[in-house]
Amino acid sequence: MKDRLLEIRDLTVSLKKKNSSIPIVKGIDMIIKRGEIAGLVGESGCGKSMTARSLMRIQPPSAIVDGSILWYEADGTSTDLTKLKEKELRKMCGPQIGMVFQEPMTSLNPMIRIGDQVAEALLIHKMAGSRREARDKVIRILKEVGIRDPELRYRSYPHELSGGMRQRVVIAMAMICEPKLLIADEPTTALDVTTEAQILKLIRQMCTTRNMSALVITHNMGVVSQLCDRVYVMYTGRILERAPVGEIFSKPLHPYTKGLLSSIPRIGSNPEYLTTIPGSIPETDQKTSGCEFCLRCSEDERRCFFEMPEETGYAEEHYVRCFAAQHRMEAENE
Amino acid sequence: MSENVLVSVHNVTKSFSLAGTFKKKRHTAVNNVSLDILKGETLALVGESGCGKSTLARLIMRLTEPDSGEIIFDGTDITSLSGRALRPFRKRMQMVFQDPASSLDPRMKIRDIIAEPMEIWKICPDRRERAERIMELLEMVELKESALDKYPDQLSGGQRQRVGIARAISIDPELIICDESVSALDVSVQAQILNLLKRLKKKLGLSCLFISHDLSVVDFIADRVCVMLNGEICETAEPDILFTKPQHEYTRYLISSIPEIKAFINGGKNEYHQ
Ligand SMILES: Nc1ncnc2c1ncn2[C@@H]1O[C@H](COP(=O)(O)OP(=O)(O)OP(=O)(O)O)[C@@H](O)[C@H]1O
Ligand SMILES: Nc1ncnc2c1ncn2[C@@H]1O[C@H](COP(=O)(O)OP(=O)(O)OP(=O)(O)O)[C@@H](O)[C@H]1O
Ligand SMILES: [Mg+2]
Ligand SMILES: [Mg+2]
Repeated sequence: MKDRLLEIRDLTVSLKKKNSSIPIVKGIDMIIKRGEIAGLVGESGCGKSMTARSLMRIQPPSAIVDGSILWYEADGTSTDLTKLKEKELRKMCGPQIGMVFQEPMTSLNPMIRIGDQVAEALLIHKMAGSRREARDKVIRILKEVGIRDPELRYRSYPHELSGGMRQRVVIAMAMICEPKLLIADEPTTALDVTTEAQILKLIRQMCTTRNMSALVITHNMGVVSQLCDRVYVMYTGRILERAPVGEIFSKPLHPYTKGLLSSIPRIGSNPEYLTTIPGSIPETDQKTSGCEFCLRCSEDERRCFFEMPEETGYAEEHYVRCFAAQHRMEAENE
Repeated sequence: MSENVLVSVHNVTKSFSLAGTFKKKRHTAVNNVSLDILKGETLALVGESGCGKSTLARLIMRLTEPDSGEIIFDGTDITSLSGRALRPFRKRMQMVFQDPASSLDPRMKIRDIIAEPMEIWKICPDRRERAERIMELLEMVELKESALDKYPDQLSGGQRQRVGIARAISIDPELIICDESVSALDVSVQAQILNLLKRLKKKLGLSCLFISHDLSVVDFIADRVCVMLNGEICETAEPDILFTKPQHEYTRYLISSIPEIKAFINGGKNEYHQ
């Protein structure tokens, strides 16, 4: 238990709508160990950002969050973040948990110089003795995220930066208080590959040298393979498969995971059109008792339509929610 | 000039003043760039973050003024056109912006956001026809009908991005500029959108300036690739040639940085893992 930092138990998020509620996140479990990077991947709109936002209690006002989010101290004691008072939770944002939002412009104030925005967190949490010290720290971290001429850029306003520069400013903001947990929602979507590599290296470094943990939401499988230790594959608000990173790529079990892997464009393969998963994600308010993926699945069985498979273990720390995969595993074991 | 050039950029330069410097030092974001986008061609633009890609796109769209140089659209010099004279050209080119959150009006419903360009250009004025067209566009970008009555902040990042694409293709432009427009999409939806762009190109002869940091996406979609470095274009080539025989040092560096999934295929760990 001592190696745990965060444990999510049966987290559900639903959105109130007139007199009904629409489930968005449907009971997910997740364990993030110290120094480890967990990756969360899945179809656009499946609830990844909603999961991340509900951890920090910044979900939209119409959302109802249920379940527990346990934060472990080094001595093994834990607190449930969902039970904390607003003020106590806000105190954790910065020194304990740093968050990078999906769209950088939404977390930057257009009226304030970017350097001052990054410094603010330091000053609020009294992590810098003086403005001067804060400034020096900000310039150092801006340099670390690859912003050239950080002294000059300190005084820029957000609109004077390129998309990727803004994204890196937001990363700097999340990292400057040296949090124990970094939650990063698509942190490198606007970055060219060389800058991306630099940022990935920086995150990795913080994890090894300072024992930081991270939850990284990304759609880039290359990033997943290079950065993450563990991968969670999400579909319509449910985790369908979770495994150490090597296993996801070498032995994907769920048909959705396999579909994802086969949709990756590869240099030099020159196809006329890319492989896609047939069909599309169901409407969020469509209720089914079965597996949400079955209409698009190549291996569906009759019971998939009315029964949701339980999570079954395949190997150590490799779990999947799929009847067909279960049968294949059983056959393999005989 | 050749008949099949749609957009021709000649020696265009754009600089900005850097805030807070004593002598008001200027930063040249786009430096003497020339390029052609052919009819029916997808030209990709890649390069380091901050090298001037979005600025160049905005210059072509005439959303910012160049310091010098010319932009020629289908044989007409549009550099000094403004207002009324520029209007017909506005319809022929559409841009999907890099940051969907700030380019979609938060007070408008998705239905109205998608319909707005058709409204402006009086396309499908018939209500039934317009509604059908919106449904068709929605389907093309893999969105659901329920999205229509939502506001932008009620959608996920990738859904917002697709609203931007639907809006841009709604009036059948001749040129579409996609600035990191598939960057927030998971691989399977991304593949669907890329296939859509390729089909539009084949069917309608759509030209596309495709800005992306994902080189495997570029390899799939582009007919030619321009590599940009510090505001200048340092290499232009077809993707096959660019990826196998890169000429410029920076291109080689770029290619060597692609995050690939090779490590696990060999059963090994990769450089970031200890
Ligand atoms: N404020 C809101 N009101 C209503 N529905 C919402 C709201 N916010 C999000 N949703 C819906 O909840 C679902 C999950 O959204 P979320 O942002 O978590 O997706 P995501 O997995 O992060 O997708 P992406 O990869 O595209 O960012 C989506 O279908 C979205 O339309
Ligand atoms: N309005 C502005 N005022 C001042 N400087 C600007 C302005 N717009 C862009 N710049 C500067 O011009 C340079 C190029 O920016 P641009 O947005 O074109 O880069 P980019 O290639 O699109 O990068 P990215 O991949 O990160 O989006 C950057 O150094 C940026 O700071
Ligand atoms: Mg998201
Ligand atoms: Mg840009």
